[in-house]
Amino acid sequence: MSRSAWAWMVLIVAFLAAIGMSLTVGDGDLSDPALRETFLKLRWWRLANSMLAGAALAVGGVLVQGLFRNPLASPSILGTTSGASLGGMMMLLLWNTTLVGNVPAWMPYELMLPLGCLLGAWLALFILMLVTGRKSGLVTVLLTGFILSSFFVAIGGLLMSLAQENWELGRAVVAFTLGGVDSKGATHVALALPMVVISAIIAMGWGRHLDAMLAGEEEAASLGVDVHQVRRWVIVWTASLTGAAVAIGGNIAFVGLVVPHVLRPFVGVKHRRLLPAALVGGAAFVAWADVLTRVLPAKGQIPLGVVTGLIGAPVFLFLLARAAREGRVA
Amino acid sequence: MNQGLSIQALSAGYGKTPVLQGVGFEAPRGQITALLGPNGSGKSTLLKSILGLMPSQGSLRLDGVSLRSLSPLQRAQSIAYVPQRTVLTARLSVEEVVDLGRFAHRGPFSLRSQEDAHAVEDALVRTGVDTLRERIFTELSGGERQRVLLARALATGAKALLLDEPTSALDVRQVLTIHRVLRELAQDGCCIVVVLHGLAEARKNSDRAVLLSQGVIVQEGLVGDVLQADSIRSVYGVELVEGGALGFRLPGEGP
Repeated sequence: MSRSAWAWMVLIVAFLAAIGMSLTVGDGDLSDPALRETFLKLRWWRLANSMLAGAALAVGGVLVQGLFRNPLASPSILGTTSGASLGGMMMLLLWNTTLVGNVPAWMPYELMLPLGCLLGAWLALFILMLVTGRKSGLVTVLLTGFILSSFFVAIGGLLMSLAQENWELGRAVVAFTLGGVDSKGATHVALALPMVVISAIIAMGWGRHLDAMLAGEEEAASLGVDVHQVRRWVIVWTASLTGAAVAIGGNIAFVGLVVPHVLRPFVGVKHRRLLPAALVGGAAFVAWADVLTRVLPAKGQIPLGVVTGLIGAPVFLFLLARAAREGRVA
Repeated sequence: MNQGLSIQALSAGYGKTPVLQGVGFEAPRGQITALLGPNGSGKSTLLKSILGLMPSQGSLRLDGVSLRSLSPLQRAQSIAYVPQRTVLTARLSVEEVVDLGRFAHRGPFSLRSQEDAHAVEDALVRTGVDTLRERIFTELSGGERQRVLLARALATGAKALLLDEPTSALDVRQVLTIHRVLRELAQDGCCIVVVLHGLAEARKNSDRAVLLSQGVIVQEGLVGDVLQADSIRSVYGVELVEGGALGFRLPGEGP
């Protein structure tokens, strides 16, 4: 059996096991027939949200790594992750200070927070595109993303310290920034599912463009790739995907970086093979991380972003050290 | 002249610095045209302008059709590029690299067609890299990589090939092999434009030559007419020594 077939088998087993574990593990007791249905329903939504966030981040990771021809790139380098996070945080503050009670019922809190995230991601993207323009090289894009990211994090820090004036609000802001899919329901799924599905399909359509761009922008252009168009749309879709992921899960670290990186040696570098594997792998990874938030000993639950970071960072360091030893990275 | 590449009044530059000024030459089908000139004379800029990789003004025609009227996909189907070296570092097999040459022939969601498979196979065989097809591109020698890049250009199906110093880092046998492949392609009716550094190499392997100096063409025409003592002295500042070079050939080929 080929390496790719093995990888797919492991992915599918991990995916199915994540579903099983996610539905059975948790505080609630499933043996109580009166509560069983409610618990299961809550866990299904939670599972769906964790998988969507993971899939979105991993697909976003494949896209930026392809665009920047750098397997160490992450969707967060565009500045859109911190933009989404800041947008969500602002909406949270705005809701609790002025909006609550003053907006019509069809604009519930569950919808407003994700909307804030998406607006934040798109605003970050707009600034990125405005600054870098059409002719900039990828290094300019990268640096602009980095600076935007730092700027948004700084504003976020300021907002967080302001929010501490109100203890409840402060807790909510901290919880949001640490990330988690608990208490996320059907609204979030309805919002994120079409986005993830459509962008995954579109990403598959860009697969061969990104393959050609592995040879650099100049050679890709000589092969017929409209490099500027690919760059623009890949950035737009990555921003939307990360915005959606932050909206449903807050800051979930390392998924976009680690998942494609781990899968590449097994399924290959061609994007049409890597994208579906990353989609399934990202979904399974975050679903498993969410299961761990429920079983690791802690007062209450450990935030999801902490778990993905605790797993992702060492895995990534290991891969990096191995690659460096084998002389595969400079 | 209708059949082949025809360049007229071509100007290009980086920012406000002009590199090419009113360049014009003909590169007929069935012949190898060498672009010659000292470093910084504008050879690579000329290739990139023809390929549409950098902005330029002037007339660029292939078989009478303006290259400027073509979409990126149409242009890639009619004119192919072999870079001096590639920045490709991803783990792709030789066959996968050559398959990238089929980009312009497929829609975003279409799979590899029979025609694609034939074109890739033909390109692998013609450049003699069919035995390396499973190998990882980045693990090949310089000469093998250059032939794979040539195969990728052939797989595009384009009848005009532009090569940027394809032999600069190769040993003598690899240089001869590349030139043999280019000669076969020319005999099949391709229009070949190749930037070369070595004047002896150009005289032996090309039919026509374009001699550039500081962004303008000093002389163009048959290679024997262009590479004369006067023009070489004025462009390179060196004296031509007749009959002073070593000559080489592949085993089994005539002298």
